[in-house]
Amino acid sequence: MKSIMACQGISKSYGSGDILERVLKRVDLEFFEGQASVLVGPSGSGKTTLLSILGCLLAPSEGQLLIASEAVNFSDKSSLTEVRRQKLGFIFQHAQLLPFLTIEENLAIVGRNAGMDDDDIKQRLDGLLYRLELKAMRYKHPAQLSGGQRQRVAIARALLHRPSIVLADEPTAALDWNTGKTVVELLLEQARMEKAVLVVVTHDTRMLPLFDRILSIADGILSEQAQTAAAENIFYTQP
Amino acid sequence: MHSIVIPISIRMLTHNQMRLIMTVIGIAIAFFLAAAQIGLMVGWINTNSAIIKHAGVDIWVMAEETRAFEYGTAIPRHRIQQVASIPGVAWAEGLLTSWSLWQHPHGERINVEIIGLDRSLVGGPWMLLDGATENVIQPKTVIVDELHQKLLGVYNLGDEAEMQGSRAIIGGFSKGVRTFTALPFIFTSINNALDYSPSYNDEEITYVLARIAPNIDANDVRNRIIKEINNIEVLTTDEFAERSVKYWMLETGVGITVIITALLGLLVGAVIMSQTLFAITQDHIANYATLLALGFHQKTLRQIVLAQSLSLGGLGIIIGSILFFAACNASARSPIPLETTPTVSMGLIAFSLLCCIAASWFSIRAIFKLDPVTVFHG
Repeated sequence: MKSIMACQGISKSYGSGDILERVLKRVDLEFFEGQASVLVGPSGSGKTTLLSILGCLLAPSEGQLLIASEAVNFSDKSSLTEVRRQKLGFIFQHAQLLPFLTIEENLAIVGRNAGMDDDDIKQRLDGLLYRLELKAMRYKHPAQLSGGQRQRVAIARALLHRPSIVLADEPTAALDWNTGKTVVELLLEQARMEKAVLVVVTHDTRMLPLFDRILSIADGILSEQAQTAAAENIFYTQP
Repeated sequence: MHSIVIPISIRMLTHNQMRLIMTVIGIAIAFFLAAAQIGLMVGWINTNSAIIKHAGVDIWVMAEETRAFEYGTAIPRHRIQQVASIPGVAWAEGLLTSWSLWQHPHGERINVEIIGLDRSLVGGPWMLLDGATENVIQPKTVIVDELHQKLLGVYNLGDEAEMQGSRAIIGGFSKGVRTFTALPFIFTSINNALDYSPSYNDEEITYVLARIAPNIDANDVRNRIIKEINNIEVLTTDEFAERSVKYWMLETGVGITVIITALLGLLVGAVIMSQTLFAITQDHIANYATLLALGFHQKTLRQIVLAQSLSLGGLGIIIGSILFFAACNASARSPIPLETTPTVSMGLIAFSLLCCIAASWFSIRAIFKLDPVTVFHG
């Protein structure tokens, strides 16, 4: 399998001296094309910090992040922006669609920002809206959509410019179980179809069996769990 | 990139129309406040030097150390002929200014400032509402401004009052001839003025007004006059206007108050305008953070914020300018007019737009300081 992204000895600390707090401790990790990973752990364990580093939004204190075998230069803001707009797709906890734009416009600006031409944007937009059952929502504003519909739009927005990596931070946190499950299934299906690396942070352990890999983080230390163990875990936690 | 900047800027602003209207009104009022204070100062300055500038002459000859137009002192009348005889002088006439006491038809008394005009009536009122400037040539005839009708107790042509025991018959009403000292101007002829001015004798005037012949350098003529005539001072119209304005602005407490008020108006207007624009950017900070996380360049966000600041600022300035010009129009016949000049207007607009740019710069700094974790959790 083709390696898309890799963390090499990544650590993140805040403060210095006696008040040094190490949030991430030497994370080594590799992500492959089309692979869906879920990142779990208690609050404050470093999940969002790791996701922020993977999203080129936060510089690690040590180690390096490789995307398409190239080390990301965290000191060059311009190149970080370029990586984000070309190679990364984001799905946020509350969708964070721009409330003043229609659904179509919310998606189109991402394509324009990535340098796609209008025909390509239209074709891509039509396809994603159809696949995510959002065609009827095309000219509506985010406020007119339900939480689940908004997260489906967020999925479409994350995938529109064909990123090789999609990062999602608790995309189901604001949704009920059934809607959340549908959203995650759709996200997995679309990411696999696009052969994108998918990394999802969640607190909801019931979602774990849906993913290829389960990454667990506690006190800044990352470990990988076997999928069968996770499946057993789900047996005990599902209502 | 512009295909993103403009639509996002516009849609972001028009999404909440009430907020947009309130923002534009806020900026318009802030601009109006600043413009009104500056306009008061400009009106004040113009009032100060109005007669000097409207006289339409090149050179003013006066007693030494004359501080302002209102404070001219007596010089011999034959200075007119002396000035007229200097090579390069095309024309010269006199002007007399003095203080006098006006007695209402029903007895009330107030101080006034007499302006005595020579044959060509230069230095007289530049806008007449009723009557004719030439009427002042008639014995005991004067022109007063409509603004002071009530103060002087005269309302119609032919109405009469008294000054120093002599009759004063109204021969006309001027329009917009204000006085800075709050004492009304009374226009009349030099001969009539001498009757009303106990401090002047028949062979005295206050100023010699001169026009320079075409293609002659005013400074050369000025130097010749100074060389030929003793105990006088010679100023060009601009120099005399500047001296009068400086006297009232800087050497009296009143002027300093006007300047400070104008500067405070400008400062308060600038702060309100900047704060209003800063607030609207802060309202959308989560959206900017999302755009930043989605890979929008900082430059693009700067352009969006700048486009919004300039368009909101521009709209506010346009509305504020309309309000200001309406106020100028409304105050045109009041003792304290709001006025402006093209330079002052352009300067104020440029300053206001600079405030908009500064506000957008501070706003964008706040966006770029956002913690990425905030972006993830909204």
